[in-house]
Amino acid sequence: MIHKILIANRGEIAIRIIRACREMGIETVAVYSEADKTALHAQLADQAVCIGPAPAKDSYLNMEQIISATMITGADAIHPGFGFLSENSRFAELCEACNITFIGPDSRTIENLGNKAHARKTMMDAGVPVIPGSEEAVTELPRGMEIAKEIGYPVIIKAVLGGGGKGMRVAYSENEFEHEFLTAQKEASQAFGDSRMYLEHYIENPKHIEFQILADQHGNIIHLGERDCSIQRNHQKMIEEAPSTAVDEKLRKEMGNVAVRAAKAAGYTNAGTIEFLLEDNRKYYFMEMNTRIQVEHTVTEWVTGIDLIKEQIRIADGQPLSYTQEQVKIEGHAIECRINAEDPFQNFRPCPGTITDMYLPGGKGIRIDSAIYSGYTISPYYDSMMAKLIVWAKTRNEAIKKMHSALGEVIIEGVTTNIDFLYEMMERKDYQKGNIKISYMDQVLKEMQED
Amino acid sequence: MDFNHIFKKTPKSNRTIRNEKRKPEVPEGLMKKCNLCGRGIFVEECEKNLYICPKCGGYLRMPADKRVENIVDAHSFEEWDLGLENENPLKLKNYPAKIKELKIRTGLDEAVMTGQAKIGGQDVVLMVMDCRFLTASMGEVVGEKITRGIEKATERKLPVVIFTCSGGARMQEGMTSLMQMAKTSAALKRHSEAGLLYVSVLTNPTTGGVTASFAMLGDIILAEPDALIGFAGPRVIEQTIGQKLPKGFQRSEFLLEHGFIDQIVKREQMRDMLIKILDFHKPKTEILSFKTSSKPSKVLMKKKNEKSAWDRVQISRQSERPVGEDYIQEIFEDFMEFHGDRLYGDDPAVCGGVAKFHGRPVTVLAQMKGKSTKENVKRNFGMPLPEGYRKALRLMKQAEKFHRPVICFVDTPGAFCGMEAEERGQGEAIAKNLFEMSDLKTPVLSVFIGEGGSGGALALAVADEVWMLENAVYSILSPEGFASILWKDAKLAQNAAKVMKLTSYDLYHAGFIDDIIMEPEEYTSDSMQKVCIDLEEKICIFLNKMSEKSIDEFINDRYDRFRKM
Repeated sequence: MIHKILIANRGEIAIRIIRACREMGIETVAVYSEADKTALHAQLADQAVCIGPAPAKDSYLNMEQIISATMITGADAIHPGFGFLSENSRFAELCEACNITFIGPDSRTIENLGNKAHARKTMMDAGVPVIPGSEEAVTELPRGMEIAKEIGYPVIIKAVLGGGGKGMRVAYSENEFEHEFLTAQKEASQAFGDSRMYLEHYIENPKHIEFQILADQHGNIIHLGERDCSIQRNHQKMIEEAPSTAVDEKLRKEMGNVAVRAAKAAGYTNAGTIEFLLEDNRKYYFMEMNTRIQVEHTVTEWVTGIDLIKEQIRIADGQPLSYTQEQVKIEGHAIECRINAEDPFQNFRPCPGTITDMYLPGGKGIRIDSAIYSGYTISPYYDSMMAKLIVWAKTRNEAIKKMHSALGEVIIEGVTTNIDFLYEMMERKDYQKGNIKISYMDQVLKEMQED
Repeated sequence: MDFNHIFKKTPKSNRTIRNEKRKPEVPEGLMKKCNLCGRGIFVEECEKNLYICPKCGGYLRMPADKRVENIVDAHSFEEWDLGLENENPLKLKNYPAKIKELKIRTGLDEAVMTGQAKIGGQDVVLMVMDCRFLTASMGEVVGEKITRGIEKATERKLPVVIFTCSGGARMQEGMTSLMQMAKTSAALKRHSEAGLLYVSVLTNPTTGGVTASFAMLGDIILAEPDALIGFAGPRVIEQTIGQKLPKGFQRSEFLLEHGFIDQIVKREQMRDMLIKILDFHKPKTEILSFKTSSKPSKVLMKKKNEKSAWDRVQISRQSERPVGEDYIQEIFEDFMEFHGDRLYGDDPAVCGGVAKFHGRPVTVLAQMKGKSTKENVKRNFGMPLPEGYRKALRLMKQAEKFHRPVICFVDTPGAFCGMEAEERGQGEAIAKNLFEMSDLKTPVLSVFIGEGGSGGALALAVADEVWMLENAVYSILSPEGFASILWKDAKLAQNAAKVMKLTSYDLYHAGFIDDIIMEPEEYTSDSMQKVCIDLEEKICIFLNKMSEKSIDEFINDRYDRFRKM
């Protein structure tokens, strides 16, 4: 059995992993940067190793140091969490070379799924519906024009190696295409040193629906239903829920099967997420597969009762899945809000600082995953997410009321937060009604600006 | 806040049991510690990065075969003289076994790889030392391989490129080792006498007997950044003098500052640099004369009185006036600066190097004024130190060896007047230039572009032809100095300027100079293009004229030019 896990991450996800390990009797090693000496994860783990200066590239992205820390502490597995090295195939490859169990899929799979063109081809071959688009990467404008015409406008232009909205543009007509294509290409070559672009039909205003899957090393793959992550700003998710109001039992079964097929085609093991865009007409398209645990895994955990981190560890250890597809039941409704140190009135600018006082709610149906405490200083070097507030109730309506009430109790003094913003979100009639599209936040922010 | 000791940790009773088969282990050769910054690095990544530490950017030692691969055109290296054995002259017991063991462990033949290769399409004899083999110390085999390589290069009329790194002479071989220094140097002398190019590239560390022989004998000496280069090792020096040495002592940058290397070149740019240097020294094909098209300007003596002499003195000193650097940029292509006098220092007041003029290599020298106070401080206001003149002479001698014409741009208030200049022999340095320039076996042209202050200017102006920009001046000393010596009043400089006959027109009329280049009314780097076109045209005509004369002929003409003054 895995004996000791090094957690190559920080913040609440590191805490989440340490807790799971502790329950399982697995020792934990935290790694931390010089800026994170007093961070909770470094204190809660059984051991902690400083791996370098504050900038992530020198610490949490410093593969050599993390491998060295693993050797020194005698850990036999690494959990990469999300972000940082979690989807770095080179890092997974190194773990493999050093006989360290990487808690995630193998390096090859990460690499293949990380490459958009490759992933798309895999999915098409497996009969997973993909958005009509260019089969091959495009570098020349005239060829791009041709393809755009075939696919049909609007067309989205994406960098082959892209991510985080960089090198991504939408052209609504042939007139706009040249400008948007060249702009995207320029951004991409600056950000990734690669100007190959990929074109696809732009689906206007769909929902973001993602399916959680679990795959063991024995060929068993199950899905754990969907999450609705349509509330996002600049591709940054804010509020996630499970199940989605737009997915009924029939569609869930159908999309779930497709998700399982997608994972199988990719030769996937461990926990992963298949992201789809869902249109009003119930048509859905594969977008990408995330090869890591996700921030919003908590809502799936609550509606299924399955501890995803523990399952990840068991899978990595070589154990078969603890559940069959039939045993997976979706019950009730869960919502997660990301509480960030940011200012919604200043374009969500991060607001690091010291928490002088805080109070977090509790009670039935409330879960908090966080790494903050009174007196903790939020570092400007890393993500501004401080805590995740998750609620569960029998129905969506009840869950919204619970979230509303819980948010109303949260006190975090000393830093600017988005708590009030989230609180007001819960009061919005359109939100309560459901059927949220990914453009929803733009519309909300526009309304707010007008007020 | 410290919670570390309050939190309960994973209870012992309930822990999982380690699977011994799963013991992580870093495979051999995957990672290593950078011996410069001490941080862990991936071997593969480091090797792909030309053995430059991805963490600290420091230069790690590069194996000879990788160096060859990095420098030469693909698959063009043909290795020579493998399998030579030393005679173990001191009959040391363990030495032969040690050599044998090293050969197996490193896969090297000895501490140097020699052979012929193409670099940018040009044939060269390339020799690369490798520190893994007894710190690349020079014993009989190293000396022999290098000597044979040089001899073959002489025979085949090829340039030599040596990448050095060495702890020095090989102690285990006693006097035999010491003699390798003489042997290799002697071979280089013959190679040089044959007019062939030798480029040495100093890498970390180059010390002892290698520094004191072939490493320092390059026509052009390059070094990698931060390489230790010296004769005595720093530890030995520290022990001898009982002092700690300053940071950076004996490093490449220190040597550059002290005039011993031409340029520091980054590893990733080394191949391109060598290609460029080799291109400048390609064996000459037939000399074509330059095409001349437009008509060059004529000297208009009637313009002489448009300005007073004092006006011209002031114009020659204007800060907006184009400086040496501007002419280098405007008139030449591919300028490559070479530093240092190989004796004491590198003087920023004199800039020199090779460049292409209409596609043909020339040596360019320029006295450098700055355009801002900051630049002027760096350039010492264009007042050269002895090392400036010695650098100029070194580069002129180099031009002579490689049959490149020399073009000098003169712009100095005078040779620097200060204690250090006298200590290092300002007078001797100037004198040596006059002496050597008088029979330099290659055409020399001097163009006065601003101030021509006395002996400090003449030291770059013993030329076949001397030209002046219309508003440049050239005199025995400054008008202020003249006035204060003769009339005991520096304020009479205006009158002095008139009396001294220092303008281009005066000097042309008196036969001290051969041509005047006309200037526009407002002469700045923005309006210099026309002047430079005129200059280029005249330089073409000059070089055509010179190529029609034999060496003896133009040296005699040069002699007569000054003989009759």
